[in-house]
Amino acid sequence: MGDSKLAPHAGKMTETPAGEIPVSKLKVPAGFKVELWASGLPGGRAMALSGDGKKVYLGTRVIGRVYEVTDAGDKRTVRVVVDKLTQPAGVAFKDGALWVFAIDKVLKFDGIAGNPNAQPQDLTAKFDLPKEQHHNWKYIAFGPDNKLYVPFGAPCNICEPPTNEYAQIRRYNADGSGKEVIATGVRNSVGFDWHPKTKELWFTDHGRDWMGDDGPQDELNRVTKPGLNFGFPYCHADGKVDADIKKKDACKGVTRPVALMGPHAAAMGVKFYTGKMFPAEYQNTMFIARKGSWNRTKPMGFDVVNVRPSEDGKTAKLSRFLTGFQEGGEGYKFWGRPAYVAQMPDGALLVSDEQVGAIYRISYQKPKAAAKKQ
Amino acid sequence: MYAASKGRWALLTALFISAGWGQERVQLCAACHGADGNSVNPRIPSIAGQPKLFIENQLVLFREEVRRSEQMAPVVKGMKDPEVIRLAEHFSKLPAKGMESGVADKALARRGSQRAKELRCGICHLADFSGQNQIPRLAGQREAYLEAEMRAYRDGKRAGGDTIMAAALYGVSDADIRALAHFLSRRP
Repeated sequence: MGDSKLAPHAGKMTETPAGEIPVSKLKVPAGFKVELWASGLPGGRAMALSGDGKKVYLGTRVIGRVYEVTDAGDKRTVRVVVDKLTQPAGVAFKDGALWVFAIDKVLKFDGIAGNPNAQPQDLTAKFDLPKEQHHNWKYIAFGPDNKLYVPFGAPCNICEPPTNEYAQIRRYNADGSGKEVIATGVRNSVGFDWHPKTKELWFTDHGRDWMGDDGPQDELNRVTKPGLNFGFPYCHADGKVDADIKKKDACKGVTRPVALMGPHAAAMGVKFYTGKMFPAEYQNTMFIARKGSWNRTKPMGFDVVNVRPSEDGKTAKLSRFLTGFQEGGEGYKFWGRPAYVAQMPDGALLVSDEQVGAIYRISYQKPKAAAKKQ
Repeated sequence: MYAASKGRWALLTALFISAGWGQERVQLCAACHGADGNSVNPRIPSIAGQPKLFIENQLVLFREEVRRSEQMAPVVKGMKDPEVIRLAEHFSKLPAKGMESGVADKALARRGSQRAKELRCGICHLADFSGQNQIPRLAGQREAYLEAEMRAYRDGKRAGGDTIMAAALYGVSDADIRALAHFLSRRP
């Protein structure tokens, strides 16, 4: 480790022209098609769709912008809604309004989809944000209970957090009142969704760095009730005890993950599929983007996986769904990094690529032979 | 024949104009950062030999006013991405050289070297501190600048960039930051 040259991959903050995005290298299962849907969105990652699905809002980290993509059918236009923020990664849309979470600021834009000049309300004071920045960029979303779910990462790779405000997921009423910590021991979750039938929250969580190539694994967790502890910093995904922060009975009372998402894979956005376009076998399964490892000698992730939960929800199986961002082999030769997944009103999937600042659209058409048989 | 030579002339003119304009901006940079990109002002950083992507990112962050600087904001206002890339390419190719004069304080340099090891600075910035990709060169950087920026990271005053530097310097004392700056500024 002392001689390691592994470092976080460089993001790109300048625009990548559409012609320089090698979308033809992307691979999906038979019957599916992937195309470049929007570009010119440096750093674009989490996506929130407006009620009618005509606008997609994207948060970013370092470049400090929130984008609005307008779908005009055959083409897309892009504008910057707000900029100069400190890592405004969290975006959520509900009842005509857009919520934006930066590390140190919460803004709400009422009526934004119809009014490009909508001015934000500053709700920062209502949400009680802690001061440390690291791992405190956000993914946010409204649950089926109409509450706003917000993660607060650990401000370190591995540590006992300085206060009890970190390494947890909270939920709030939309105005910031009614704060409630619903999960603890969560190192850095930046993706979640709710099962369409059980309404349980499923979230990804990134494992720590510098404990070897093969672990700890990233996690996919299920919140069966509020108050569960998911183990950070003492106990990791595969029941591995931490190498630096030790405690007796480190894994006692810790809820273990439903699925292991790969060591250092950077499992991000989670989306349960409920559309009508894809074959029925995809109903209520998840699509999860794995942005790809850096703290590992050989690459892991750089794909979108389909994750199928068991009937009882206690286990889940992964299969790779969208690949081609990383050229094969053992070295790091990637051109894109998939980060989040969204579902369009017609059932197509959108996948954001944070590396080249683009969105891909994945659609499905029944193969002709199969159509004839029916 | 006439059309072809006219086309060539137009192309040459365009090249000349863009090169001349680019040169003007390069000279504007050089006015503060040094004619060869190695800064003579101890509070202003050297930009020669910095990784290309690091310079690109910083220019974008200044333009977006995410990294705030009264000096840099007017210089990069409205700068387009292709020019950001051109400037980064130019300065990344110039050779870096140490600008600190005077005798090094051996004990302070030793302490800085030790802390750099403990904080694992050399993993991302590389063992010779020459930087890579988005991660800056520290070797030979101006001492006063290094000290001020490390303190700003630690104190949450240099927001926007990757928060990993705030995490790396979390709880590091002023004295250790001074030692790190002394050591790094005198690396070849």
